[in-house]
Amino acid sequence: MTIELDAPRQAGIEAERLRVLRSYDILDTDPERAFDDVTRLAARICETPVAMVSLALGERLWFKARIGMADETGPELDSFCQHAMEYDGVYVVRDASIDPVYIDHPLVTGPAHYRFYAGAPLIDDQGMTLGMLCVVDTTARPDGLTETQHMTLEVLATQVMALMERRRALTARRLSDEQAEAAVEVALQASEKLAESEARFQAIADSMPQMVWSAGADGYHDYFNARWFDFTGQTATPSDTDAWSAQIHPECRDRALAAWQASLATGEPYEVEYRLKHHADGYRWTLGRATPIRNSAGTVTRWFGTGTDIEDIKRLEQAKALLSQELSHRIKNIFAVISALLSLSARHHAEAKDFAMSARNRIGALARAHEFVRPHIEESRPGIAGTTLAAFLLDLFKAYDGEDGVPRVRITGDDTIFDDQAATPVALLFHELATNAAKYGALSQPDGRVDLTLSHRGDRMILVWAERGGPELDGPPLIPGFGSTLLAMSVEGQLAGRLDLEWASEGLKVTVDVPRSALQPRRAAMAAA
Amino acid sequence: MKGRILIIEDEILIASQLRDVLEDLDYTVVGMAANVPAARRLVLAGGIELALVDIHLSDGPTGLDLGREIGQGSDITVLYLTANPEMVRHGVPGTFGVMSKPTDDDSVRTAVAFAMQSRRGGPSLTAPRSLTVFG
Repeated sequence: MTIELDAPRQAGIEAERLRVLRSYDILDTDPERAFDDVTRLAARICETPVAMVSLALGERLWFKARIGMADETGPELDSFCQHAMEYDGVYVVRDASIDPVYIDHPLVTGPAHYRFYAGAPLIDDQGMTLGMLCVVDTTARPDGLTETQHMTLEVLATQVMALMERRRALTARRLSDEQAEAAVEVALQASEKLAESEARFQAIADSMPQMVWSAGADGYHDYFNARWFDFTGQTATPSDTDAWSAQIHPECRDRALAAWQASLATGEPYEVEYRLKHHADGYRWTLGRATPIRNSAGTVTRWFGTGTDIEDIKRLEQAKALLSQELSHRIKNIFAVISALLSLSARHHAEAKDFAMSARNRIGALARAHEFVRPHIEESRPGIAGTTLAAFLLDLFKAYDGEDGVPRVRITGDDTIFDDQAATPVALLFHELATNAAKYGALSQPDGRVDLTLSHRGDRMILVWAERGGPELDGPPLIPGFGSTLLAMSVEGQLAGRLDLEWASEGLKVTVDVPRSALQPRRAAMAAA
Repeated sequence: MKGRILIIEDEILIASQLRDVLEDLDYTVVGMAANVPAARRLVLAGGIELALVDIHLSDGPTGLDLGREIGQGSDITVLYLTANPEMVRHGVPGTFGVMSKPTDDDSVRTAVAFAMQSRRGGPSLTAPRSLTVFG
């Protein structure tokens, strides 16, 4: 439906006209009744068989409305309109067959047989001619248009422009509506995305085995996952702190709330164990934790928290502690039973009495070693701070303290950590030394005492046992019988150390030199691994 | 006769050895009980000055409450003798003190003598090292 223009036009004007025409959103649209009616009226009033609305777009013409003209009408027509557009007002060709401009025009010489043309320009509000409303007749009209026809053509051209303006206004409104719709669409998509991400968060939160909750910076809880509702049996999100804390056991509530308030005040992570009311299973121990979410300025904006059911773990821990306690009790009881058995066995053998007593005392030392190093639960922990060598020895020597409670074995020097595997040889070593001192050495005299010096020497530990104020000895020190064997076994055998006994005028001096690692074999093994 | 003593201990070897030691020291052991009902019967029978009470008995860790019951319900002096002295380290109302098992004969001798003397209001002595006296 377009026709090539055969004359060049100024590109700038054409481009501008095209831009303006596009703003009407009319090009290449279907015929419309309003345009057709106006065009038909123009033909009727002007008494012509043909009328049309033509719009000039660059090198083409495009017809919005055509009356009495076949579709296949050739491109030649445009030269009429082309000329007409260069005129102000209505342009008239009364007889093309004698007009020098059109005399050889194919529409004039050809079967279309055009003779008469009259066109009124379509001018926009900026004064630009966009096209023509024109009428065409195959018969020449020497008198041209009547005054009424002339005026009608002008008025109808104005009407065409009005139709086009209306169309542009509608287009503009539609466009703005579309933009608004697009904006709404974007907003909708954004909110859908948000909803989707919220849904995703909820899906994740709901699939977690833990209870998950969230609170604002003010501590106001505004979200609980499905697990929380499952656990508590609640159906509505708690409205305030009182409502959710009501699910916590009264004995734990104040503690839990205090911890929560402290975290809110300081921004420190929240962690507290409390008993939470289960919908069917009474109160269950729960580990509550929360972490603050901070903005770029470091201010806490939200809290995300979890509640983990640790009832089973708690019960397991308690069972384990009970088992451990029971086991330890049995072990200690076995020491007591063996000790009693020895005593009963020796009872009717006077010659075995001393033997039985010393064996029972050694068993007693072993029992003390066990008591000292066994894993303790809070309830049965002895009142001794830390598992250090000095603390252990102080406890071991308590039996030799003076009546006034002053220790007779004084321990000085460098303390060291030692562990359970070293406890037995250390206990036996010092039990033998102390027993010997009580029988034959410094501790057998009221004023006698022992200085025990502990010192680090590189990776060695040197323990010096020096007795003072004991009875006059008339020969080199002698620890009788099995006692000396036990000393050697403990130090040289189990502790991989060296044992040196010497007799000084003031009393027995024993030097024990052991690797420090031998006092903490468990620790050393872990470090090696 | 230095005193009448009840031994509440479920290990017969330990109880027997304890009895031997006490009888060697001229005490009268009025009976040995391995559980709570037996102990109650002997307590009801009367004539007891001192009860040596183990915490773990044949019917469980019932010695703790039993000691309190005897101490508060009678004029018997209650001395715990246990492998787990920590269980009563904070003291038990109505009872006298605790000593740790295993122990040697001398510790038993001094601890029992101290308890008897305290009970009878004898001259106050320093408690032996092996004995922890409840405040």
